[in-house]
Amino acid sequence: MTTSSHNDICQLVREPIDMPTLVREVRAPEDGAIVTFDGFVRNQSHNRPTLYLDYEAYESMALAKMREIAAQLHEKFAIHLVAIVHRLGRLEIGETSVFIAVSAPHRAAAFDACRVAIDTLKRTVPIWKKEYFEDGAVWADGELPPAPAATPRAKPAS
Amino acid sequence: MRARYNSSVTPVSQSTRLKVLFFGRLKDLIGRAEDSVNSTDASTIEQLFALYAARNPELAKYRPSLVASRNQEFAAWDTPLHPGDEVAFLPPVSGG
Repeated sequence: MTTSSHNDICQLVREPIDMPTLVREVRAPEDGAIVTFDGFVRNQSHNRPTLYLDYEAYESMALAKMREIAAQLHEKFAIHLVAIVHRLGRLEIGETSVFIAVSAPHRAAAFDACRVAIDTLKRTVPIWKKEYFEDGAVWADGELPPAPAATPRAKPAS
Repeated sequence: MRARYNSSVTPVSQSTRLKVLFFGRLKDLIGRAEDSVNSTDASTIEQLFALYAARNPELAKYRPSLVASRNQEFAAWDTPLHPGDEVAFLPPVSGG
């Protein structure tokens, strides 16, 4: 498993995400760009008006996976620092559920890394949202994380 | 990862049990987020799932749309289990 040796920020929080502070934390004089992603609660799902969302996580594993994502970004892209923060609990329409900030000396790496970060988070980090509507609640359709298909067997001795 | 277990105050690794976690719709279906079974009751993740599916037939239909983890890493269904392991059954994730 890869772990980040950088001063990246990976957090699960239950309060509103403090986006300006996170942007300041990843900003440094040697950088020339910061790209951020602000994911927030939409007011409808498949044309059904949403009342609010409730997020839950397998917290220890989710944090480990978020740190893995940050570490992978450093391997792939010429970036400086990464902040990945996801909020849990009840979120109202318009509130930020996930925030990502990536700093880099040059913009291309920051754009690419930020895109990979959110796409990978949505596919691999064990977080779930329940959508509440006027007439009930459902667990949102999600993506099945890629998991090992089967443990490779030792070859029989011959 | 492993070091954390060995250094914890109440070492999970010395348990004779398997910790089992359910999330999302599975938690609603099972009616609890956390359970434990004797480690001798299941030697693989698949067998552990079968224990719960036997008690709750509704669970079986979710099997194709689940992944499992062992000690916070995604794991194949035939992964062997050991006393103190933490196994979670994870529906499709929907963070973001």
